[in-house]
Amino acid sequence: MTIKKRILLALVLGFAAIQFIQPARNKSEKMLAADIQKMYVVPAKILTVLQISCDDCHSNSTHYPWYSFIQPGAWLMASHIKEGKANLNFSEFGAYSKRKQQSKLQAIINSINDNTMPLNSYTMLHKKAKLSVENKVLLLDWIKTTKDSLSSKN
Amino acid sequence: MKKVMISMFVAVSLLTACNNSGSDKKEISTTTEPTAAVPADTVNKQAPAAATTTAVSIKEILADYLQMKNAFAKDNSKDAATAGNAMGASFASFNKAALTPDQAKIYNDIEDDAKEHAEHIGMNAGKIEHQREHFDMLSKDMYQLIKTFGAGQNLYYDQCPMYNDGKGANWISETKEIANPYLGKKMPTCGSVKEELK
Repeated sequence: MTIKKRILLALVLGFAAIQFIQPARNKSEKMLAADIQKMYVVPAKILTVLQISCDDCHSNSTHYPWYSFIQPGAWLMASHIKEGKANLNFSEFGAYSKRKQQSKLQAIINSINDNTMPLNSYTMLHKKAKLSVENKVLLLDWIKTTKDSLSSKN
Repeated sequence: MKKVMISMFVAVSLLTACNNSGSDKKEISTTTEPTAAVPADTVNKQAPAAATTTAVSIKEILADYLQMKNAFAKDNSKDAATAGNAMGASFASFNKAALTPDQAKIYNDIEDDAKEHAEHIGMNAGKIEHQREHFDMLSKDMYQLIKTFGAGQNLYYDQCPMYNDGKGANWISETKEIANPYLGKKMPTCGSVKEELK
């Protein structure tokens, strides 16, 4: 056996072995009391947009495609989800202070306007997640309404 | 074949190690405590409510903020990030024990938000426009903080009418002269003093 073949074999076996090590899935069945849907009025249309474009990384329930089980991609995905949720989690939105909720909503407006979200690397694989112009307007309007209702409450 | 087995073992253990470092994801779906809530023990430990705010000093936090503001006025993203990291540390080392329960409630609410902005600015060196978006929100928090605890120095609450597509944004400065942190060198003198703070 040549060195090359050995390395190749090692890689193949290594690849096979890591398939058995799967990170914990981000999939919560029950909806928390702090879920944004329980805190604010979220029209059905908006909810659909949020689910398709945001919730994979910004909620407690990721929709996992079949290839999400292939390692090492699954680790990469898990780390993305962890980071996404640390910055914004719609499933626990109500747990933020009112001040922070204002900031989060403003940050969403900013990232939609700057086209930084959803991430390009994400929309490359999830074509549907890309925000159309209409959906952007829809989403921005809804966030502004929610933001105003928040500031009037304070 | 032995060598193959060894290299495979190394490959697997390396990757497993990677997995371990990120495997605290199990907590992923657990509920987090409401962040705004004031921990009960902090409240209890406080001295009887003192009406004066002189014991509390936000000097360090303010110094970092002003440094950040000046970096933005010079379009210096890296220095702004450095100040952001310093500010995050200043929030962390702020002496909460000196606060009355009422003050602690306001402080914790502001800190929860402001610290995140400061650290986010710290993490995003090179993306100055993104940093400025968070500086806008951070400035609102700072204004509240100064209003609550006093600055211990003369400050100016300035407004830039052009930022945010004409919606405007505010900042706090130690000088009466305008040095716009939102538009930087493009429009350094755009803006006006809205309020004098002490």
